[in-house]
Amino acid sequence: MTTPKGISAQVFADGLAEMRSAVGADWVFTSQEDLHTYRDFYSVLWDEPDERVASAAVAPASVEEVQAVVRAANARGIPVYPISTGRNLGYGGAAPVYSGSVVIDLKRMNRIIDVDEGNASCLVEPGVSYFDMYRHLQETGSKLWLDVPDPGWGSMVGNALDSGGGYTAAPYRGHFEAQCGIEAVLGDGELFRTGMGALPGSETWQQYKMGIGPSLDGLFRQSSLGVVTKMGFWLFPQPEAYLSASIDLQRFEDVEPLVDLFNELEYGNIFNGMPSITSPVLTRGNPMMFQPVPEPEVMNRMVEETGLPAWRATAGFYGPEKVIRAQWEYMRDRFSAQFQNVTFKENQFVKLPLSAEDMQKVSKARFGVPSLEIFSVGSNGFGDFNPSDGHIWFSAIIPRTGKGLVEANRVMRRECARLGIPLFMFSPAVTCWTRSFVLFAAVPVYKDGRNKELRDNVQEIIRICAQHGWGEYRCPPAFQDAVMDSYSFNNNILRRVNERIKDALDPNGIISAGRYGVWPKHLRGGRG
Amino acid sequence: MITGLDMDRRNLLKWSAIVPLAAAAPYTALAAVPQGVDALVIDRRHWPAGTPTPLAGLAAPQLFTIDGDVTQLWYQTLDPIWRKPGFVLGGVTGSDALFVLEVLAGDRGRRVTQRRVLDPVVAGLQPVSWIIAPHHPSVKG
Repeated sequence: MTTPKGISAQVFADGLAEMRSAVGADWVFTSQEDLHTYRDFYSVLWDEPDERVASAAVAPASVEEVQAVVRAANARGIPVYPISTGRNLGYGGAAPVYSGSVVIDLKRMNRIIDVDEGNASCLVEPGVSYFDMYRHLQETGSKLWLDVPDPGWGSMVGNALDSGGGYTAAPYRGHFEAQCGIEAVLGDGELFRTGMGALPGSETWQQYKMGIGPSLDGLFRQSSLGVVTKMGFWLFPQPEAYLSASIDLQRFEDVEPLVDLFNELEYGNIFNGMPSITSPVLTRGNPMMFQPVPEPEVMNRMVEETGLPAWRATAGFYGPEKVIRAQWEYMRDRFSAQFQNVTFKENQFVKLPLSAEDMQKVSKARFGVPSLEIFSVGSNGFGDFNPSDGHIWFSAIIPRTGKGLVEANRVMRRECARLGIPLFMFSPAVTCWTRSFVLFAAVPVYKDGRNKELRDNVQEIIRICAQHGWGEYRCPPAFQDAVMDSYSFNNNILRRVNERIKDALDPNGIISAGRYGVWPKHLRGGRG
Repeated sequence: MITGLDMDRRNLLKWSAIVPLAAAAPYTALAAVPQGVDALVIDRRHWPAGTPTPLAGLAAPQLFTIDGDVTQLWYQTLDPIWRKPGFVLGGVTGSDALFVLEVLAGDRGRRVTQRRVLDPVVAGLQPVSWIIAPHHPSVKG
């Protein structure tokens, strides 16, 4: 059995013994076979000496058991790394950021504590997956939807805490934005609640986020400050209908006014579904690969030669049929008034709830239906890749403008080509999160020794993007220090304040050491 | 009920070899599936087009088919079953489907106890034969 760095075998054994007494011997794992399941299967450090691996794992089933585990660790300085279900593939999976940590696996805490139909909200434990909640809503005849990521096998809590996103309506797609109320076990084992959860007897924990004083929910996002044991979410009252509709434009020069108008219409609630802006002429052949945006005259010539539009903006509408058809009509009027050669297309209209027949036709995530289909996509023709071989995500926030989209596309494609980074998915303007474009690139990882070069190249991309003001919102553990470093305003005050908070709330530095570049004091010098 | 760990390796190899990766394979030979497997998963992407589904004559009590995507199989069938003790599942699927099933099985205290990579790789799709069996004391039958 390996032990965490700086912890003696005796102290570690004592700590595990106390954890066993808290959760039961069957739920403390130390064998190599068991710990294999807590590796990051998409690690860019796979099988290398620096691969981040757990020394043990423990699976508590209640808040009290979590508190006992944390207290056992805190008393001995044993590093722990809580996971909800560990499905954060492409961003670290179940593996700890600091090698040797004891993974606190919260999958047994899988109670759906409350679903409030009237308030359209829920309160869940971290082991509740999107599939669990979907099943619950279906079996209880609920009229509520949940917003799901794709794939949808992860934890609602874990995905939100890592800032995951989905595909339905604006207030729900950003999963941390849709949270309302957090309960967490702090480093000393104390139980903490945010917002109205701090008021005994309150019935409004899942209604009003802020409570009184500074709003502290954000302390637990991508955090090393606590073990989240409950989380509330706002759910989406099932709409009456859904409409997807597209607007095609024919000139390179249309992109800037297109994004501006699209933004105005979305922010003004003319449409509420997830928008997309792509280029049919630049994604022909592979819809998952947005090719480099050429110079205007070249792109306009490509449009003429192929007959494909330069740009396609797609909007989703959820609501009563009469309302969303009127909204779509208004959008058409606005675009017709501003653009020449604009064409419109209604892609899909469905009345809800989905019929069995419609379920087979639709993109399930747009309807809050979790799926694992994406894992077989690679074998179904979207490029030559197999997701189970592993990949990481590069995910940078870029300006939500036409100019920003074009520049980020060009820089990223050019630099990835220069560095020889093979992408199998590239989209410069993903809109899961409110008012932002996220540039997404999927980079394959390997298990055959090529990862060193890949890591160096990704670090270079992080630096280049930061020079343009584009910062990643989420990344695998191997790059979290570099990304946090790139948020360098005022001598990295963001990281330094996070460190001050870390020192105050978790003085022994046991929880999630190094997560998103925030290291405890005793590991800070060498960055873990 | 036996577990996958108890399964005879020769039987597994024999079974893997006869699974219909070849167009002319006699599907009723699937009756040779090892004892102790409660159900089989067959990935139709490895299945020759136009051939009948070989439901008849199987030794395994149940046959499940997928087209690479395991969502419905897992959600409708395996997830409820895997929450209870026991149940040994065998399959021949693409490695992508096995990856998903293996992770999901791990959540329910189950492991891939045997696996064999098969030939040929077609369109980047690696077929694998495997057994998933209970591992954790909470689900051992």
